[in-house]
Amino acid sequence: MQKHSLLNPKVLAILVLLLALVVSLMPFGGPSVAKAQGPQSEGMVCTNGPSFNLTSHDGYIGTPDGNVVYMWGLSSGSDSFQYPGPVLCVTEGDTVTVILHNTFDRDISLIFPGQENVLADGQPDGPIFSGVDLVSLAKVAPANGGSVTYSFVANDPGTFLYQSGTDPSIQVPMGLFGAIVVRPALHPDWIYNDADSAFNPNREYLSLLSEVDPILSQKMEAGLPFNSKNYHPRYWFVNGRGFPDTIAPNYASWLPGQPYGSLTMLEPWEATLNPLPAAIRYLSVGSIDYPFHPHGNNVRIVGRDGMPLESDTLENLAFDKYSIPVGPGQTWDALFSWHDPEAYSLANPVNVTFPNIMDMFFGPLFGGSPYLGEQGAIPVGVTSQNQCGEFYHIAHNHALYQITSWGVVMTGMATYTRIDPPNGCP
Amino acid sequence: MKKSMFTGRVSRRDFLKLAGAGLIASGGAGLVSKLVSGFISPEAIALAQGELPDKVFAGTDGWMYLPPLPTPSPFHPDDLSPDPALFTTYIFGFRDLTGQTEEQMLNQKMKAQHSAPMFWLQEGVEFKLQLRNLGLAMRPDLTDAHTVHFHGFKNAIPFFDGEPSSSISVPMNRSFTYVYRPHDPGTYMFHCHVEDVEHVQMGMTGLVFVRPAQDGTSFVFGGSPFTKFAYNDGDGTTGFDREFGMHLSEMWVDSHWADSHIQLPEWSDYKPDFSMINGRVYPDTIAPNGQGYDVNGDLIAPVGHPRLQYQPISSLITCNAGESVLLRFTNLGFMQASMTLDGIQMRVVGKDATFLRNGATDISYLTNTITIGAGESFDTIFKAPAHSGGVGPDKYLLYNRNFVRSHSVGGFGEGKQMTEVHVYPGTLPAQTEPNT
Repeated sequence: MQKHSLLNPKVLAILVLLLALVVSLMPFGGPSVAKAQGPQSEGMVCTNGPSFNLTSHDGYIGTPDGNVVYMWGLSSGSDSFQYPGPVLCVTEGDTVTVILHNTFDRDISLIFPGQENVLADGQPDGPIFSGVDLVSLAKVAPANGGSVTYSFVANDPGTFLYQSGTDPSIQVPMGLFGAIVVRPALHPDWIYNDADSAFNPNREYLSLLSEVDPILSQKMEAGLPFNSKNYHPRYWFVNGRGFPDTIAPNYASWLPGQPYGSLTMLEPWEATLNPLPAAIRYLSVGSIDYPFHPHGNNVRIVGRDGMPLESDTLENLAFDKYSIPVGPGQTWDALFSWHDPEAYSLANPVNVTFPNIMDMFFGPLFGGSPYLGEQGAIPVGVTSQNQCGEFYHIAHNHALYQITSWGVVMTGMATYTRIDPPNGCP
Repeated sequence: MKKSMFTGRVSRRDFLKLAGAGLIASGGAGLVSKLVSGFISPEAIALAQGELPDKVFAGTDGWMYLPPLPTPSPFHPDDLSPDPALFTTYIFGFRDLTGQTEEQMLNQKMKAQHSAPMFWLQEGVEFKLQLRNLGLAMRPDLTDAHTVHFHGFKNAIPFFDGEPSSSISVPMNRSFTYVYRPHDPGTYMFHCHVEDVEHVQMGMTGLVFVRPAQDGTSFVFGGSPFTKFAYNDGDGTTGFDREFGMHLSEMWVDSHWADSHIQLPEWSDYKPDFSMINGRVYPDTIAPNGQGYDVNGDLIAPVGHPRLQYQPISSLITCNAGESVLLRFTNLGFMQASMTLDGIQMRVVGKDATFLRNGATDISYLTNTITIGAGESFDTIFKAPAHSGGVGPDKYLLYNRNFVRSHSVGGFGEGKQMTEVHVYPGTLPAQTEPNT
């Protein structure tokens, strides 16, 4: 049915603002320029450690159907509510310290799947029992102002989760989770201690996949119990946002509690000028596998769950995939790049007559030309958001009912890859 | 930024003129020098001659058959069915109209099939697929465009990718020709990407694969000679005697009823009633293939199965004892499937059109069950066991271990995502086409 969300005013406004921001921050097309001028508009945002203060907050997020949903979250230092929690970036060998401050009227805690010998207040951490009853997977920060200090040595480079270990079937879907990135000791621009995992440091992305049941949120806001048997997610997110908010910049002012975008930006791979791929770290805190499918090219999976894909004899076991089944609690480390092997251009055209533009339906991100860096005529009445003939490829969950938001289609767990011409947009 | 000076029709000739005017030249041939993150090596592509497409597909709506549900449902069978004795379920789908006259093509509106026609390409040979949008007969209020998204095709330009926001789509009574230059053998899938959750669930999905350049050369593997292969293995390890496409899809009857009744489903309530192989449930899966086309261009139903007129693809796997059989699995349902081949081990040689060998390291593996998520593909090869010596073929079952995913009134297995493998003692002639 023709109910294309990219054509609705909210989406158009976001696209216009996005393009305006990209233009204003990147006059020469270089991401380093953007970073020099303030908070980066795209790419993974690191909160650097190795010591972190995380405080619980509640707040509200906006969803693509126009709803506002009550959530919980963890924020760094004195930051206000955010969903999801900050990305904790450390280096292999660091002793990582996370002090959890609890402002809620219920106990909370954190677990660090994939980390070994975690200490809580200096003592070995683990499941907490009251008699024979398991009451928490980790030592808690007690309700109403309590705190607890976790620490561990980050022995393994890769991508990990942190998440609530207390009443996790409620607290994780409510938002108490985030990502940990451990950079390898040998090189900060590798995913693992292996040159085959090298990536372009200006092209590092996170896709933290999650879901929300708004009825659970409603019950928590009202202080009512919730039976997890009735859990039924209606929203699906990348980095805490549903499409089209996913392609808005980091820290978009109209998404105050959802600071992280997920627009992947690339320039075409080229052997000497642009040889390094982007890194995309996929993580899931959902309840079922999300088969995530980036259009345009395969990803190369170089690691899973913080472990490089190599054998005991260091054979490279990396593999290519076009659909990544990111399971609950899993992390998948991927390399991604794109180029056009046919080198199509005006001088080397596609082997088909370009139809009359009135005989095609133009998408709002299409520039009117098959060729990178070119724009063509746009039919009267079509608003194109294309800036300079750059390409866009969608990246989305292929359980397609999850790229909706409580009934609104073409929203939810989807984002885009933007491929600029080799020298960026003029 | 270079705006084309042309409005209206911009032909290839115009592009050439523009190129002659001194615009930036391409990187040219040989710019790919290194295999990085899935990039392909340079290789010559044989160009198709002229602009005639290799295949012409139509997108339209139609009706198909699924068996009764165990409990009465207001949504199944659909009360708007044009012939309740034959058809139960409203669908959108593709049809193969290659070679048809204009009149025959126009006759195919409201005659969609599910799953879509299977097709294949040859590595290194350009392939043109023309898509024609015939419109939706049941829903004159909808003016939906259609596209073909070749799911998994590496290094696609958006122009030929079929994702409507970043590209173009095909309005009603218009056509567009997709040009593919396949470099990577393996099993893929395709679907319409317009209003994707709806058009995919409604049935616009199918299987496509790319044959390797190695085909036609001879390798002996495991004592058997092969000339057909799944991948460019260099040693015959992916050689096969017969091949069968197993395209998995699902049917949530509520959403199909909603479409025929001009309603919208709540997609977050998604719960499929049927899970299918090649658009059918057991035992229809083992019914024969359709019989081609009549003089009006319409499909002719399989022998003895008038209800399966618009579900023409059989999933019956037949082979001789000792033969190597390639099963190409794709899944464009929205749920994971766990497909078990009872009594025979399969070797998984490829996933997502990637040969499971990294350099010299063989990472293929044996299993009797593959867990395949939405949008994934698996290539598995099994060696048919010896025949027991009894009368007729030995029978084995291939089915989704998640039985509750699919249900119908009837005996065990009926209505399930299940098919049969029939092993003959050597009496089957050589296979001429996939799924025969």
